[in-house]
Amino acid sequence: MKKGFIVVLALLVMCGLSFSAPVTSEAKTLTIGLNVPMTGDIPKVGESSKHAAQMWLEDIKAAGGLKVGGKTYKVALDIEDNESKADSAVSVATKMITQDDVLAIVGPQSSKQAVPAGEVCNNYKTPMISPWSTNPATTDNRPYVFRGCFLDSFQGPVMAKFVTGEYGFKKAAVLYDVASDYPKGLAEFFKKAWEKMHGAGSVVAFESFTTKDTDFSSQLSKIIKSGAQFLFLPQYYNEVPLIVQQAHALGWKNPIVGSDSWGSPETVKLCGKDCYGSFFCTHYAAAGAKGATKAFIDRYTKKYKEVPDDVAALTWDSLHIIQKGIESCAKLTGKVKKDREALRNAIAKIKDFKGITGNMTFTENGDPIKCAVIVKISDKGEYKFYKSVCP
Amino acid sequence: MTYFLQNVINALQWGSFYALIALGYSMVYSIMMLFNFAHGDIFMTGAYIGLGIATGLLAIVSSGVIALPGWLILVLTIIISMFITSLLGVLVERIGYRPLRNAPRASAAITGLMIGIILETGNLALLGAKRFSFPPLIMTKAYNISGVFVTNKKILVVLVSLTLMLALDLFVRKTKWGMAMRAMSYDFVVVPLMGVSIDVIAPMTFAIGSGLAAAGGVLYGVAYPVLDPYMGILIGWKAFVAAILGGRGSIMGAALAGFLLGFIEIFVTMIFPSTLRDLIAFSIVLVILTFRPHGFFGKPYSAKLRL
Amino acid sequence: MEVKKSNPGNTKRFSGLRHFFSGIPASGWLLAAFAAVLLEFYVGDPLTEILGLPKIPALFGIVIILKKPHLIPGAFAYVGLIYLLPIIIVAKITAPATNWVSEKLDRMPLWFSAILHLVLLYFVLEIWTDISDYRLLMLKLTLIAIMITLSLNIINGYMGEFSCSHPGFIALGAYVASVFTVGLFVNDRLLGHALLPQALGQFLFPIGLILGGLVAAVGALIVAIPSFRTRGDYLAIISLAFMFIVKSLIENLEVVGGPRGLGGQPDWATLPTVFVWAVLCVWTINNFVESTMGKALNAVRDEESAADAMTVNTRKTKMIAFMFGAFWAGVGGGLFAHVLRYVNPGTFGIKKLAEVLAMVYFGGLNSVFGSIVGAVSFNLLSEALRPLEIFKWIIIPVLLILVMIYRPTGLIAFKHFNVKKILRPRPGSKERV
Repeated sequence: MKKGFIVVLALLVMCGLSFSAPVTSEAKTLTIGLNVPMTGDIPKVGESSKHAAQMWLEDIKAAGGLKVGGKTYKVALDIEDNESKADSAVSVATKMITQDDVLAIVGPQSSKQAVPAGEVCNNYKTPMISPWSTNPATTDNRPYVFRGCFLDSFQGPVMAKFVTGEYGFKKAAVLYDVASDYPKGLAEFFKKAWEKMHGAGSVVAFESFTTKDTDFSSQLSKIIKSGAQFLFLPQYYNEVPLIVQQAHALGWKNPIVGSDSWGSPETVKLCGKDCYGSFFCTHYAAAGAKGATKAFIDRYTKKYKEVPDDVAALTWDSLHIIQKGIESCAKLTGKVKKDREALRNAIAKIKDFKGITGNMTFTENGDPIKCAVIVKISDKGEYKFYKSVCP
Repeated sequence: MTYFLQNVINALQWGSFYALIALGYSMVYSIMMLFNFAHGDIFMTGAYIGLGIATGLLAIVSSGVIALPGWLILVLTIIISMFITSLLGVLVERIGYRPLRNAPRASAAITGLMIGIILETGNLALLGAKRFSFPPLIMTKAYNISGVFVTNKKILVVLVSLTLMLALDLFVRKTKWGMAMRAMSYDFVVVPLMGVSIDVIAPMTFAIGSGLAAAGGVLYGVAYPVLDPYMGILIGWKAFVAAILGGRGSIMGAALAGFLLGFIEIFVTMIFPSTLRDLIAFSIVLVILTFRPHGFFGKPYSAKLRL
Repeated sequence: MEVKKSNPGNTKRFSGLRHFFSGIPASGWLLAAFAAVLLEFYVGDPLTEILGLPKIPALFGIVIILKKPHLIPGAFAYVGLIYLLPIIIVAKITAPATNWVSEKLDRMPLWFSAILHLVLLYFVLEIWTDISDYRLLMLKLTLIAIMITLSLNIINGYMGEFSCSHPGFIALGAYVASVFTVGLFVNDRLLGHALLPQALGQFLFPIGLILGGLVAAVGALIVAIPSFRTRGDYLAIISLAFMFIVKSLIENLEVVGGPRGLGGQPDWATLPTVFVWAVLCVWTINNFVESTMGKALNAVRDEESAADAMTVNTRKTKMIAFMFGAFWAGVGGGLFAHVLRYVNPGTFGIKKLAEVLAMVYFGGLNSVFGSIVGAVSFNLLSEALRPLEIFKWIIIPVLLILVMIYRPTGLIAFKHFNVKKILRPRPGSKERV
């Protein structure tokens, strides 16, 4: 028996040693984690994030790596699927931080995952940027957590003011998904802002449905009956076409106004003519974009055969914020814990970052101050810049 | 009044889908005492197959080989999709249920659940994460009848599903095969001894149920033209509730319960704040089952029949 | 099982292998595991460097397999050198000693012996998780998964009903426990100032968990009253309706954050806490199913009218078992919320249901051991296959279908979990060699 053990032992050691040589050279690589949902409720979000991240990595590779303090570092992406589940997002974040030694994490995208994962990142002092999460709790009291988009508390009033100025309406209706964090938050901020401007009861219909619903006829009938002058629809692209089409089939002729979640090109592709002429508030306008934004859109469209949605654009910006943070570090020590701290301070200091979704400066809380863009869907189905609203 | 009528029409359309899916659940449940949890995803697959066929037919038409009007394409799509999805149903029975015929019923339910997950993720892997819009085969026409808005699509959905339900009812009540099915649901042990083979009846049950689900899927695509791989889950589980609410052994009971569930959901939204819809709708289901524990048309029976 | 009779050499080898291990008692294995984790604690780092691994493999290397295939040999070597070889060697060498100890313990009360073993097991886990926090998190989640799986096994396995309300029970437990801790001990925007000092909270945390369990049990009563009036499958839809109701209820409760969820739970679900609760759960559930009540439950499952004739109060039995299962699901939910330190209603939907059902049926019905195996293997598999992204959710269902086809009641079904038998000394091999 003893002989057997020795043989096995020797084999194992040899086996291990023979593979050890090439691995040690990986030491200088900087790893950035990407904690995104590739399966589950919103696989499209994960796909867009992954595409944007891969494009970013291509750029870095083409440049030969990231230059920090005179040294060049290779960059690797660690893309993990969090299945759109809160517990998986936490496991993935923990794994990235403690096992894969990532320098920073981008994602999770949706708030239900970004809030718990933010807790993990903050506890382990690892910078995290959630490109898409709009829940205030994500960054609240968490110095290591940032976000790439504006908050609902900003967007709600922007839309209320815009509609009042544009149409001069007094009576609003809102239809939102009660089971989803983002639409619900935005709907409430909008309601508050609207009632502040037009008095209590001026939101005449405040209706809801549940995620994955497809029939909104009853809610829409109620909204039509309420005599609202327009409908505010803070929904994602998979519901917007259905709601708009059903509203028109039920005889609704007033304007429908949307939020930044309309920003995907899929909205108009799925919705067709019914959505033409609608306004919505978003991070950037794809049609008529200039400069870096246009370059990004053209490249992305060429590479992946689709126009990038807001998730892709925001992920791209978040990665560039991290890149800028890394580059503005004086030097990297090679000790992950110290570097993370340095990176966090560098990101917090970034002023007027010129992203494709607008200029950003972070507040104390890690939320960006950036402008919102009001976009009109043209008669050709393009997203045309209408006006810009800054805080 | 117009508001009320409007909601009746809304509920008829919404209930049609529950009813069509619940029928498939109910058939498998009545005849084989099984929960076919893959059914919601078979519905989804049916819709996608319909999408493929409709796109294909439209391409053929636009290439000018043959001229077909929109409604004919729709009819063809429904029929072909029903046929292909029936084959899928037979396959599901073959893989997931037949090997487990002597196993506890719950194990078969789990294989069904897993086949459902495979269909969802398989779709996601094949077609990618983007949503598809169902091609508009017929133009939406909205009729305003003194304040009540009705579209041609709504009428179509309700009519086609009612026709299919009637056809199924006739099949089950009037044909020899239907009689065999009813016999099987009456006694699972003795009837096979009488020369009715379970290996014929079971695939047939799955085929018919899946075919109905596919018709539902195509109609769904016409009415709600955004398809995604997970679209069958929620509607499937709710239709499952309707199927059992209808009562075992009563196929028409399932259809009625499907319509009822649609009406409950729509009218709860009409009367109460819509945020409370699921809460109130399912509480009503709970109350109904407390007072009518065997569903509407079901008879008391022993669930241990096949354990 | 796979051994063919026509190949005597093969049979001999296998029985030899079995023989080789059969002389080692549970305490021996634990001691060996202890030695292995100590070894890892002290030489893990240098060894990983020698083997060229970037880090100590977190979960026996399974996480690396698909992500960085070139590290597989190193990971294998590591697992072999740190776990397999030391465990086998130490277990074998100490076998006479551990057998002697086990024999002595065998004569003492069972609880004493069990606690000693558990303490040793705890230290093994504690040292093992000391290496990496990822391990710690996975271990906590797995222990909670064991609790939840086991509690569902009472209903779906031992009672033979089909319940879909487990996510609802978990949600109730999670929310009640969270409201208890967040409301009383944390300054929170949602629920106001802390009413009691934080220091006290650690001791009152079990009360929160038990409260969560009790509320879940009351929820179970609501499901049970209409469902168990008659026989049949109505539990399946009533419980499903209940799950939807709970989810919708929480979404509408602004006090606990609605769909935004409730965060900021204090970090009290430490490894000792989770471990103790998991052990308590396994222990009480095992006692329950081995008791007269548990036997009555099996009788109800196998033939209700016969059980009724044998003076079993079937309705009461079912209701108690159902509430008992819900209680432990609630406690598991409370721990789950405090491990993640965030809960939202969306977590407790149909997806969770499919996951819990998969764990129960994968592991095995009517078996405590099966539930443990099911929960652990499902969690490990789920982590190992994560890099496959979409294909993970094709492979796992296919595996489960295969298990169902070849072992319709699960991997390890209908097996008694006899603590005394597990802990008994095994000096058998001494005489035979």
